[in-house]
Formats: sequence, structure tokens, C-alpha cells
Amino acid sequence: MLRFKPAALIASTAILFAACQGAASPAPSATSGASSAPSASGASSAPSESAAPSTAVKEGGDLIVGLPGDMVEADPSLVSDSNSSYIQLNVIEGLLGVKPGTLADVIPVLAADLPEKSADGLTYTFKLRPNVKFHDGTDFNADAVVYNYDRQKNAPKPLQDAYNYYFGAVFGWGADSNLKSVEKIDDMTVKFTLVHPQSNFLIAQAPLPQFGIQSPAALKAGDADNPDPGKSPYAQGQGGTGKSMVGTGPFMFKEWTPNDHVTIVKNPNYWDTANVAHLDSVTFKPYADQAAELNALQAGDIDLAQTIAPNDIATLKTDTKFQVIDRGESCNIGNLEMNLKSKPLDNQHIRTAIAYALNKQSYIDAFYAGLAEPADNFMPPATQYYKPLGLPTYDPDKAKSEIQASGLSGDALTLTFYYPSDVARPYMPDPKGLAQAIANDLEAVGFKVNFKTEGWRTGYLADEALGKFPMFLLGWTCDWPGPDNFLVTAFFHFQGDKPNPEFAYGPPELKAAFDKGATAPDDATAQQAWGDAQDILKRDLPFVPLVHSKPPAAASADVMGFKGAGNLNELLNSVWLNR
Amino acid sequence: MLKYLVRRLLAAIPVLLGLSVVLFAFVHLLPGDPVAALLGQHATPELTAQIREQLGLNKPLYEQYVIYLGQLLSGDLGKSVINNRSVVSELALRFPGTIELTGAALVFAIGLGIPLGRLAARHAQGWTDGVVTVISLLGISIPIFILGYTLQFFLSVQLKWLPTSGRLDPRTHLDAVTNFMLVDSLLAGRLDVFVDAVKHLILPAIALGSIPLAIITRITRAAVLDVANEDYVRTARAKGLSERRVDDRHVMRNAWLPVVTVIGLQVGGLLAGAVITETVFSWNGVGRYVVEAIQDHDYLVVQSTILVFALIFLAVNLLVDVGYAFLNPRIRFS
Repeated sequence: MLRFKPAALIASTAILFAACQGAASPAPSATSGASSAPSASGASSAPSESAAPSTAVKEGGDLIVGLPGDMVEADPSLVSDSNSSYIQLNVIEGLLGVKPGTLADVIPVLAADLPEKSADGLTYTFKLRPNVKFHDGTDFNADAVVYNYDRQKNAPKPLQDAYNYYFGAVFGWGADSNLKSVEKIDDMTVKFTLVHPQSNFLIAQAPLPQFGIQSPAALKAGDADNPDPGKSPYAQGQGGTGKSMVGTGPFMFKEWTPNDHVTIVKNPNYWDTANVAHLDSVTFKPYADQAAELNALQAGDIDLAQTIAPNDIATLKTDTKFQVIDRGESCNIGNLEMNLKSKPLDNQHIRTAIAYALNKQSYIDAFYAGLAEPADNFMPPATQYYKPLGLPTYDPDKAKSEIQASGLSGDALTLTFYYPSDVARPYMPDPKGLAQAIANDLEAVGFKVNFKTEGWRTGYLADEALGKFPMFLLGWTCDWPGPDNFLVTAFFHFQGDKPNPEFAYGPPELKAAFDKGATAPDDATAQQAWGDAQDILKRDLPFVPLVHSKPPAAASADVMGFKGAGNLNELLNSVWLNR
Repeated sequence: MLKYLVRRLLAAIPVLLGLSVVLFAFVHLLPGDPVAALLGQHATPELTAQIREQLGLNKPLYEQYVIYLGQLLSGDLGKSVINNRSVVSELALRFPGTIELTGAALVFAIGLGIPLGRLAARHAQGWTDGVVTVISLLGISIPIFILGYTLQFFLSVQLKWLPTSGRLDPRTHLDAVTNFMLVDSLLAGRLDVFVDAVKHLILPAIALGSIPLAIITRITRAAVLDVANEDYVRTARAKGLSERRVDDRHVMRNAWLPVVTVIGLQVGGLLAGAVITETVFSWNGVGRYVVEAIQDHDYLVVQSTILVFALIFLAVNLLVDVGYAFLNPRIRFS
């Protein structure tokens, strides 16, 4: 997974990290009762809905939503950043989706039901939902599904390299794709055939608008597969409804003024008549600056701020004109990551000592406004096949005895510790403050900490990926809440047999467990393999997981019916304005 | 006059060339590079080397500079490394926003600064002068972002008189013709939208215009006081002209020169201030474009955009110099 092809990426890579390490990233979710992959997790800790609708729902109105950044292209297959996905989810639907307000409940959307899976795990047959029309008036049917998957699988090389990230990450392209074929059986039935069984088949596709089905007529008319998206009217989003982002969702694309706003409007003919949008329109406005966004919310210029800084929560909670919306289960992880090539971190006693030295709860209180939980695994509890690992918890005495057991002392206990100088992430809202708090804890048990810092985009991400940092702060927001998305994609992927240089860690048995889990034909095998992988990580403790944060949304008190989700998979058709 | 203009235009060439060298050196000397921004976590040694080669970043610096200069001379400002979009098309989209903002800030600074300066001079040493001095000291010493947030907090959050950010209410649909909201709204015959655009301009224009306001006020005061003691002013008064006439025809006419010079110089400060103002007010202009490019070390975008800034600065100051002749007939260009 995560086949990242070099070559062009010139254009896109910008997009990539935005997504993965994203300010808030797109999608995710697991399966619930799916015929195959079952979610060990399932657990939905009652993600909160904004203000209980005690009064009757009011129809109409325009909602203005503040986002951390602008949309990138008006075609989900070309983007992987969280802002584009957040908007496009409301316009474009896939065969599968995630039950609103949950992380992991896979539901059929444009499929009439969850697919039928063959015993060998190699084919999935979908019955399609009848009588659905795209926003341009054309019919949704098997031809449209086949066209969309074929289009992405055979995308022009420059698009593969630089734009089309998720399709490559989940299936791979062209002849190398694990998606052997998508065939029309009849007008309302399609069959997917895989080369090898793929245990994330449902869970990886369900939350991502990148696997949405768009109108083939509009894609063709807008030259959507032009190798230079700058020349595709479809991707540039300047034609209005029916010309770009032409899906089947509860909202239709209306207009995009780059760097200023994107507007989507109610789809009055939505196929799911029980869930037609209440609002007339939603406008998304990018804010480069969180203080300005908070002022805009308080002034009434925006109705909903998708993300707010933990520091601002207290201000809003004391004001009855506003609400702070809990998003339920976390889908991210913040870590104290390590490179096992460097001394003294190659010594397991030292890593264990560090784990015992850290008072995770104190960081949660100081930097996350209490909205986080201490991590006890390398992935959050909502992830499929998660199990509590019983990792070391705060105990300075045990930390000291582990240091003693390591046989190291004096200068050998110096740790070079990197943090990013210019960024806030959902899983680390204040990297510098967090780094200092961690250093205090480490020095209290006998380590010496030597701080270093780099700019997030101008060196930090690239240098840590190249394995230049001994110890550093980083994390991950899920693309989908599967174990592979954290353990493999985010952390310990292999390049051939070589472990990711970022951590310089990867025993052969870990690779074997990953491979077995990824290609498991059935749920029991997958559960066993991913469980083994977690046990190996517990045994070796390659780095110290810190927290799973729960970044909230904030809204005006009269915004009702908003269903938050920890992966930002948030459909706005349930929202209405009590004004 | 024509000869003078040609000479000034020719003189601008070495200035721009020198600036291009300094800019080039400056952005290339910053730690980090665009490849790191481009690849992020996907960086591998092979990939990094490959992209550096693709972008020509592995060539010696002087060679990179010569290539850049060649492009510039053929009118090509280059492309963003990060999103592949051409600098020219991005500037076309964003410059109107910046011009509208800096224009409004300048109107605010001049429109208020000159009367305040004249007022302070007329009552020199009195309490009016004291108040004006305090205002201008505040204007010059409060950083734009603090003033910006403060204005937002009081006038938007508390009083709800004006919007916090953006160029228009996002619910408004306006067909882009010139990308100047004030113009496009009138072209569309939408007076309500025009009013909305003006409302959106007020706070950022005040925040951005505060420093030039302070400087123009001080300079006007000093220039007026300077002239007020001249013999010809006393003569004018002695022959019984009204104060107003003395002020307009004799004092201001002569006080204009330093004021206009300073106004010309403020344009540079306004363009620099736009970088911050546009971020605070989510204003879609060139300032935000430059900030993003600097964060990404997007060399060509930074170099080309700042060169365009410099060109504007030079052009405005040339206009100021030409303007002297109209303000003061004694000045001749030769």
C-alpha cells in the first residue's frame, strides 16, 4: 500500500501530506456488519449531535462553514487533502459510505446493499440502487460505476504520479493494480474482481470521496482526464452546477472562487427522500488564521468553524450564543517517534524508560484542553482489530530502574529531540509546548534533552522521513480506521524488505503479519494477523504513542442537527438553522 | 520631459536587475528547499535527487540565475513548483484584490492624514495638536496584526457593524469580470453588492492604512509649519486675504512637495503591509500568495512576485516625480 510513484509529483505532493498529516483529514471508517470485514471496533462512543432538536426542524437558510484551507481541485479523484474531501463528500457519493456520526459503520449508499463476497475473497458483487440520477440529470447505473473505476485505474501517468493518490494507495494503477476488473453484469449489477484478496476493500473505500461515482457524461465533457488538471474545465470547477463535481449527493456544486469560497446548494431531487437537505446552501470559506476564524464565528460571519484551537474552547463554552461540538471517537494518534538506528534509542531499556517517564495525562490537560485520551496502542481504539496493549504508563521510579538496566549513564543519556517550529496539528496543537513538557519529564528521570527544530514543510517532514531525526514529534489522522492505515501506511511500511528509514525498525515477523493481514481472505485470518502485528509492536516498543485527540467543532448555538465524526466524514444534509 | 522619462525608465533597469540578484540569492540562501515542501513525508534520497534534477536545482546557482533571467526577459514569470500554476495567471486573479485594498488604505491615509496634519499645524502646540500627535504615534507603533484583530473584535464581534473578513459576503454570487469587486458589482448593476464590498474594505484598509496615516499626518504638519513662517505667507495675510485662501493658495501649494514624496514612498510600505493584512482578514490577494510561497520555498513565485512589487514601487515614484511639475511649476525636468 502506499505505492508512491516518483516522477512527476511536482504538482501534487503538496496535496498529499496535507491529507495524511492533515489538519484534519478526510475519511475513514470501518465496516460494521459487512459480509466480510467485521469491525472489531464498531464502538461508537455516541458522537454528539449539535443541540438536541427539541423544536420542529426549519427548512431553508444558508450555512457558512469556516475551513482551514481552500479546495484544491473540483474532482475528488485528483485530491487527497482534507479540505477538498470535506466539501466533496456532501456532493459525491460512492457505492459505500459511513453511517453519519460514526467512524466505522460501513453502509451501502449507491449500492442497494453491502456486496456479496466470494469465498476466496476475490470477487465482490454489488447490486446498485435504482432510480438514482446525477446532478446533470443523467442516470446512475452499472456503466457509470465501471467508467469511474476504469478511469482512475487507467489514469494518465502524470495524474497517477502527482494527483491520484488514494486510488493508487488502495488498489494501485494499470497492470499493477490489485483491482483486476470491474464488470457490468447487468444495468444494476457490477462485479469487482481482485488479484489477491484485500482485507481493507470495504473499509478503505467507504469513507473516501475519492471512490465516489461521478457523471461520466460530465467527466467527458469537462475533459476530466487531461494530464494537466489546469487545462480541465471539470477540475477547475468554473462551470457551475452539472459541469464539475457532478455526483448524486444531497448537495450540488454551485461555484468556486479560488481562495475565497466554495458554494454547494440543496439537491431537491435527492434519491434518499428521507434525507433531503434542510439547508438551501452551504458556503465554505478558507481561513489561513485561527484567530481570524474565531472572530468571524463570534461576529456571525460564519456559522460553523470546522476546527478550532483548544485554547479557544473555554471562551466559546462560556457564551450561550455558541456551542462546542464533540466529535466522538478519535481517529488520530500523536506520538513521540524514534529512529532505532540512533543511540541510545536502539536500547530497548531506554525506550521503555522514556515510556515510563511520560505523564501523558498532564499533556492532555495542558495542551488539548482535556479533549484527548492517553494512547495505549499504535492506533486509536476505534480502529478495526484494535486491542489494548498495556503499554508502560507514568511511573518515574520504573523509568529510573529501566535506565539502570540499560547500563548507560552520563552523556550516553543525551536525547536529540526534534519538534516542528511552525505548525499546529489536531494531534499536536502546540508542538513546542508539548516538546518542553516531555523534556521536563525526561530530565526528571535522568535524561538530558537537546532540542532541535525545523519548519514543517521546509524540512521537518522530509527530513524525518529520510531518517535524519533520532527522536521527534509526529502523528497521523486516519484516512480510514483500519489497522493498515496506521501501522503500515503511516508508520512501519516496508520498501521491499527494507523497513521505513523513518524508524529503521521492522523485524521480518512484522512484515509477515502485515502481508498476511492485508491479503486475508476472511475476517478471522485478518483479525489474527493484525493482532499478531500489535503484539510484536508491544514487545519491541519502537516508539512511544502519546495521545488520541478529539478536536471539536464550534458553531453558533442555532446550528442544529450537525453530526460530527472524528475523521471529519461529516454530511451536512441533517443540519438546519433554528433562526 | 520625454527625455527625463526615458532616462528614468532606463535607470530602472539596473535597479531591477540588481534586485533580481539579491532576491535570487536571498531565497536560495534560506534553509530548506522546495523539494522538501513538495515531497514531505514521501521524501526518499532517490526521489529527492530526481526532483531536484527535474527542477534544475542541482545546477550551479549562477546557471540557475541565468536561466531565470532568460525566462524573465521573455516575459515568463515562471510556474509554482508546488501546484504547477503559472505565476502570471495567479497574479491576474489576485492582484486586483491587493490593489483594491492598498488603494483604499491610501485613500484612508491621505484623506484623513492631510486634514489632520493641517489641523495640528494650525493649532501647533495646542491640545488639538497633542491629540493628533498621540493618534499618529499610536498609528505608527501598533503592529498591523494587533490593530487588525482589535478592530475585528470591537467593530465586528462586539458591535457587529462590519464584517470580519473576506472581500464580499460569501453568499453573494458575482460574475468576475475585472476581479475588482467595486467595479464588478457596478458592472453587474448591483448597488447592494457594491455597498457590501465597501463594508468589507473598511477594516482592512484602516489596519493597513494606519502607518501611512501617521506618517502623512506628521509630514503634513511639519511641512505646513515650515511654510507658514515664510515671508510670502505673511505678505498674503498682510494684504488681507482670508485665512482659508492663505492656507489653500499659499501654504498648501508649497507644502505639497514633501507630502507627495512621502505618499509615493508609502506605497512600498503598503505592499509589505498587505502581506500581513491579507492574512488577518482572509483577503484574497497577492500578499497571501507570497506568504504561502515563502512557506513552501517556492522560489520562482517569491522572486517574480516581489519583482512585480518592486516594479510597481518604481512606477509610483516615477509618477510622483512627474507630479511635482504639476504641483510646482517652478520645477522643470531636464
